Amino acid sequence: MTGGALALQDIRVGGPSRTILQIDRLEIPAGDFVGIVGTNGAGKSTLLKVCAGLIRPASGSAKLDGNDLLRLSGWRRCSLRQRIGYIPQSAEYNADLPFTVREVVSMGRTSVRPLLARLNAEDHAVVCRWIEALGLSARRDQTFRSLSGGEQQKVLIARAMAQDPRVLMLDEPCASLDFHWRHQISEIVERLHRQTGVTVLLVSHDTSVLPPTCRRILLLADGRLLGDGGPEAILTPQMLARAYGGDLVASTIGGRRHVLGVRPDGGS
Amino acid sequence: MDPFFYSILLAGVIAGASCGLLGVYIVGLRLPFVGVFVSHTAMAGTVYSYLLGLDPTLCATSISALTAMSLAAIQPGKTRIDSNVALAILFSLMLGVTFLGIGLIQGSRTEILGLLWGSILFVRTENLVVITAAAGALAVFAILFNKELKALLFSRSIASATGVHETFVYSLFLALSGVILAVNLPLIGGLMIFSLISNPAAAAYQLCRGHRAIVAVSVAFGVLSTAGGFFLSYFLNLPTGACIVLVSTLLFALSAGYRALSGRSD
Repeated sequence: MTGGALALQDIRVGGPSRTILQIDRLEIPAGDFVGIVGTNGAGKSTLLKVCAGLIRPASGSAKLDGNDLLRLSGWRRCSLRQRIGYIPQSAEYNADLPFTVREVVSMGRTSVRPLLARLNAEDHAVVCRWIEALGLSARRDQTFRSLSGGEQQKVLIARAMAQDPRVLMLDEPCASLDFHWRHQISEIVERLHRQTGVTVLLVSHDTSVLPPTCRRILLLADGRLLGDGGPEAILTPQMLARAYGGDLVASTIGGRRHVLGVRPDGGS
Repeated sequence: MDPFFYSILLAGVIAGASCGLLGVYIVGLRLPFVGVFVSHTAMAGTVYSYLLGLDPTLCATSISALTAMSLAAIQPGKTRIDSNVALAILFSLMLGVTFLGIGLIQGSRTEILGLLWGSILFVRTENLVVITAAAGALAVFAILFNKELKALLFSRSIASATGVHETFVYSLFLALSGVILAVNLPLIGGLMIFSLISNPAAAAYQLCRGHRAIVAVSVAFGVLSTAGGFFLSYFLNLPTGACIVLVSTLLFALSAGYRALSGRSD
């Protein structure tokens, strides 16, 4: 797989009185697995939306494979965005509609085909392949709304992958899942990254969601990049305390960094 | 039976089918106030075209189509005001503008007030042609842009981020919504047409699994609502719009009741 490199330059999102996100320079080479962590309101989702071209910043450029998503005209921007697989938080999709699993995964082929063109046999084969790859074959004719939160995330991942993306962007994919599903979704994303070489941007406030193969972490606080580096350098109690506040207890279990909680006053 | 009745029935069937189809997208996109707002814009357009001596169908259609298209500027997550709140404000403004126009009309206001409730007396050959053409345009649009519309229904954010021509298809859809609402206004009534948009589709969303089934059931319920409403209106001499509202609401209640009682979980 080629492509999937992102470059942000002098990005500023916000009004005159408040800056929501300020990124001077950020480069993500194709094929990287990048975790974006930070507290609620740190600017994680905003950063992802800027990368997807969903938010137009007050200034700066957001380039995907050398093309500025913010400057391109509508049709050329659509063509470039075909390379983006995007999984937003649940408030941004309509989970109540009675679409079947197959229909939702098929939506991933929409931008691959031109306007007015119908999906063809090749598209249906791709859709079936991803339904099978994500273990959803038994659910294909069930409605999306009847599935559990974890299964819904699997459907959204299958939908994104059916698009054959160069960049996979996930915004808190495990936010409302139990630890079993959190682990499973994280494993799936890690496996897809390894097998396809897709660039992955995974936003999570929970550091344990990041798999051991995630070798680059962006730590955000108050809309600014507090740290950018490997998990050993970023997920230290000192760095986490700067971002999250308080004296945090963190532990590495199975290659994943778990923040266990805030150390009580006077504790050791 | 009077041949006039058959042309009324035909107009009703076509109006019901097009409103049923439109409702699938209006309800699915969670845009209830778009229907209310645009139908009131069409009503204002008709009132002022009457005042200015212009062609009411052309005037209402173009005003409501243009106004509806301008709503594409309201993007999810990009505006500070929730789109439904903004539309509720605009809807009340349009209602005020409409009644202001009605107040300015000299002489008899019977015909123009009929726009509020709808009347089968508005069915003329030229209405029938316009209603059929608009319904045909919507059907062709829904077939041609089926895959994009489904992606939009599920999530405009995902569609936009992943390269679907979201703004283009959404704007076109809104313009067509304006046209459908404006041309059906004289029959169904400005205050009532929204129920014909929302009730059949909401009932279909209760009963069906899969987009194709939703479209088929919503169109069928739209036709049943108008045909049933027209029968009641014709034989009992009741206001057409009110009868359509009652029938379509009954269909929704039966669908919701069936879903609740059968314990269906898809």
